[in-house]
Amino acid sequence: MMYGTKAIQLVKEIANGEKGQLTPFSSDVFSEVIAECSQHFADLRSLIRKMQEAGLDVETTKNEDHYGQLIHHLSLVRNKRCLMAYMYNRAEILRNLVWKVGSEIPEEIQEKLSHSEKEYFKKHSEALKSYMSRVVLELAVDMVPPKDPYIKVRVLDDMGEVELPSDNTANFARHSMHFLKRTDAEKYISLGKMEELTG
Amino acid sequence: MASYYDIDDILVEEQRVPVAFQQAVNGVDIDPSAETHCVEPGSKVELPYWLAHELHLRKVAKMKVPACFNQRTKLELGADGASVDLRSRCLYFYEFGCKIAPLVGDRDMGSFLLSAFRTRYQKILAKAHNAAFTAHSKLLSYLTKEETNLYEAAQSSMAAFKKWRIGGPRFERASVLGRKRKEAN
Repeated sequence: MMYGTKAIQLVKEIANGEKGQLTPFSSDVFSEVIAECSQHFADLRSLIRKMQEAGLDVETTKNEDHYGQLIHHLSLVRNKRCLMAYMYNRAEILRNLVWKVGSEIPEEIQEKLSHSEKEYFKKHSEALKSYMSRVVLELAVDMVPPKDPYIKVRVLDDMGEVELPSDNTANFARHSMHFLKRTDAEKYISLGKMEELTG
Repeated sequence: MASYYDIDDILVEEQRVPVAFQQAVNGVDIDPSAETHCVEPGSKVELPYWLAHELHLRKVAKMKVPACFNQRTKLELGADGASVDLRSRCLYFYEFGCKIAPLVGDRDMGSFLLSAFRTRYQKILAKAHNAAFTAHSKLLSYLTKEETNLYEAAQSSMAAFKKWRIGGPRFERASVLGRKRKEAN
C-alpha cells in the first residue's frame, strides 16, 4: 500500500463532510497513522545506522540508502500534515460553535468529540468569557445586526418557567408565542428551541 | 500559496503522477512490482504528487505528464470544452495542472488550462443562475471541485439576493446542529 494512504482518509473525511458540520472523531484511523509515522521513523533510523556502520558520511553520501531515508522522511512529513489539518479544521468548527451556542456543548455534538477537543472547547469558551467580562461587553449577541430590539418568537420545545438574562421570567410552553427582547431570544433560537416569526 | 492546513491542497497533492526512477532506492515499499524493499533505476511507478514532486526536484525520479492531461483530453476540451467530463479525469484538474505544469516542461499547459476554464466558467454561471437544480445533475457530475464551488457560490448568492428582496427570519438555528428539526411529539 502506498505511503500516506491512511492519512488521506482523515483528510477526505473532512472534505466529504457537510461544510461546518462535525463527524465523529476517527480515533482508530488517527492512531493507525501515528503508528505508521513511528514505523517510518524506525525505518529511517535503521537506514542511517546502516550507513554509519559502513563508515559513510550520512550528511553527504547520496546512495540508495540516502534516498530511502528521503522517502521515509517525506512520508513522515506528509502524514504529519494530514494529521494536523484534520485537527485544525475540526478545531475551527469548534471555535465557531462557541460563538453560536455559548459555553455548553449540545449533546449531539459532545459525542462526536475526542477528549482533547472537549477540553479545547471548554478552555476556548472560558477564554472568550473572561475576555468579554474584561471589556464588559457581550460580544456573542447581535451577530446579525438588529432592526428592532424586540422580536416575535414561537417556542418549539417545552422549557417551562425560564429566567431570562434581562431578569424577567417567562413560561415557555411549546407552541406558545412571545414578544421578547432580541438578546433574550437569541440563544434559544440558535439552539433550535425557538423560531423567529416574521410577517 | 495554499495554507498548510488547506484540505483541498492536501487532496490535490494526493493525485498520482507516473514517474521513472533514475536512482536506486533502498528500504522502501513504493514499487508494487518489486519483490524486495528496493527500487531499481528505470522502474516506472505511479506516486502521489507530494512524493513525486520532491523526488523529481532532487533528480531521483523523473515525472511524466499524468494521464488526465493527455492529448485526447486536450482535443476534447478544444472541441467542446463545456461538455467534457473533467470530474472523472481529475477532481482537481486545474489545481493539479498548475502544480504539474512547471515540472514537466509542457509550455502549452498554462494557456490550455486557462482556455478550458474560460469556456466552462461561462456555461457554469449561466446555468447556475437560471434553471432548477434537477436539470443540472448531469452538468454537476462533469464539474471539478473548483467548478462546483463556483456553481454553488453563484446559486447561493442568487438565493441570498432573493431572500433579501422578500425578507424573512434573520435568526436561524445554528447550522452546526444540523438541519433536521425535532418532530413535535
